[in-house]
Amino acid sequence: MFSVASCFREAQLQPVVVFLEKLLRSKPVIWTLLILPGLWPLWPLLVTRSPAAGADPLKLILHHLGFIACVLLATVLTFTPLRVLFPRWGVAFALNRHRRLVGVASFAYALLHLTAYLMHEGGFRTLIHDAFEQPKFFIVAGLVAFTILLVLAVTSVNALIRRLGGRRWKNLHRLVYVAAALAVYHQIYARKLFPVQVLWIFGPLGLLEIARVIRQQQTAGGRVKPAG
Amino acid sequence: MLIRSPKSWEISASTVTPEALYHARPRREFLRTLGVGLAGAALARPGALFGATAGFPSKENPLYPAAKLKPTAEEYVTVYNNFYEFGTGKDEPKVNANKGWKTDPWTIELAGLVNQPAKFDVNDLVKKIGGLEERIYRFRCVEAWSMVIPWDGFPLAKLVALADPKPEAKYLKLTSFNDPKSAIGQRQGNLEYPYVEGLRLDEATHELAFMATGLFGKPLPNQNGAPIRLVTPWKYGFKNIKSVVKIEFTATQPKNTWQAMAANEYGFYANVNPKVDHPRWSQASEQIIGGGFFASRQATLMFNGYEKEVASLYKGLDLAKNF
Ligand code: HEM
Repeated sequence: MFSVASCFREAQLQPVVVFLEKLLRSKPVIWTLLILPGLWPLWPLLVTRSPAAGADPLKLILHHLGFIACVLLATVLTFTPLRVLFPRWGVAFALNRHRRLVGVASFAYALLHLTAYLMHEGGFRTLIHDAFEQPKFFIVAGLVAFTILLVLAVTSVNALIRRLGGRRWKNLHRLVYVAAALAVYHQIYARKLFPVQVLWIFGPLGLLEIARVIRQQQTAGGRVKPAG
Repeated sequence: MLIRSPKSWEISASTVTPEALYHARPRREFLRTLGVGLAGAALARPGALFGATAGFPSKENPLYPAAKLKPTAEEYVTVYNNFYEFGTGKDEPKVNANKGWKTDPWTIELAGLVNQPAKFDVNDLVKKIGGLEERIYRFRCVEAWSMVIPWDGFPLAKLVALADPKPEAKYLKLTSFNDPKSAIGQRQGNLEYPYVEGLRLDEATHELAFMATGLFGKPLPNQNGAPIRLVTPWKYGFKNIKSVVKIEFTATQPKNTWQAMAANEYGFYANVNPKVDHPRWSQASEQIIGGGFFASRQATLMFNGYEKEVASLYKGLDLAKNF
């Protein structure tokens, strides 16, 4: 069967793959990968002191935190299809050990994004106005997505995973796909024109999901022959 | 005539406050600052690589003085721009509008329902109008941020008087340049180009409606809409069309670019109004550009603080419907 790992092996890349696997298994590496991108706005704000960034620093931070929340959400969702599609690829396996951490990090960025929003746009009064009094759909979508991520993060502590039990926990956590869809909508309507970045954040995930569905239908078709 | 006497606002050069930071530097000095010495020598008019240089230094108009409003730092005014012709990122126009796009020489045309259709070189126009004055205006973007900008220019009413509109003329249709070769946003087609804006004739002849050829006492940088642009401080920023090439007088209301893009979000009037939300955000408050991290948000004022001056233009008009 086709496997990415065997491709790499043929290309004499095995040492690289092994190194990558090791790297990705390491918690400190993953933590660094999760935290470092969030600090990026400090560069233009504090180091290069670019006037374009300093003009409205909180807005820059607000956008950036939302952006990282979306990237992490899209990233964590690729882990399962990667494992299904490339079952013997060590990298996919290594990544799947960090599903909870990356998922919770996405929530943490969404929480910081919401905090920046509250600081930037006039606090809870504005949130209540824009979400309930005169609802703006993109804000409502953000709020619902955030609430879902909150519930999923809270139910990701070991005690609650055990309390809920495998099946119920799994069903609940399927809501993450709803959150992702809402985040896509939210991100698109945050802008005056269509933001192309949405395509490269969520495009790869979309392709992987399609490939996974096809693969799962093939294997299911192989096991249970449909009648007729 | 529709035109109120703007002459009475003009003041002698002696009342200009020379200590003001942003005030006109000699032309040679700012050109050196821009580093165009060599490139300029190759042009017909040495030194003038862009912008309209006639009329500087301008005279401060005491009705709109610096003392009342503290201008936003120049470094923000000239880098934080919405000029989609040169990219949708705020700092893109500063880069992309200064890669060979020529704003000098520049011709502006008066056309349509007028007795005096004409084409003017912008520098000649400034001289014909009788020089420039400086006004400090608030600037409020539809995206809920604001600046305070010292503009140099002249009342639009003077231009309207030059054109001498026919009685049927009810609106002005202003058109910006179309040069996809120089403008990356036009090549990408991120909006419909050329950019078009419109005003009612009585709005255009209102004393606040202004044509700017400079800011901070210097010719407009390309990214701010060189060499000539509209400034209507009681309206959202997108109304203030940049780099105007044509002003047409019409009998029917022109369709402005953003209204054509999304009529449910952007209207013809675009009057600043804290009580009428944009469909996707509240307009009740605004971020002060350059205001830093904290306490940099302020309440938005009706007609951006010019209610006393312009409210009478809209008597009887439902502002929630005519946004
Ligand atoms: C209560 C929840 C939320 C609120 C109130 C909120 C608010 C906002 C606002 C106001 C903007 C636009 C800022 C502007 O241009 O003025 C925005 C943009 C954005 N938000 Fe949220 N948001 C929420 C939740 C989320 C969540 C859960 C995610 C992702 C998982 C997210 C991701 C983004 C992204 C990617 C952008 C676009 C940034 C850009 O255009 O560069 N937001 N959000």
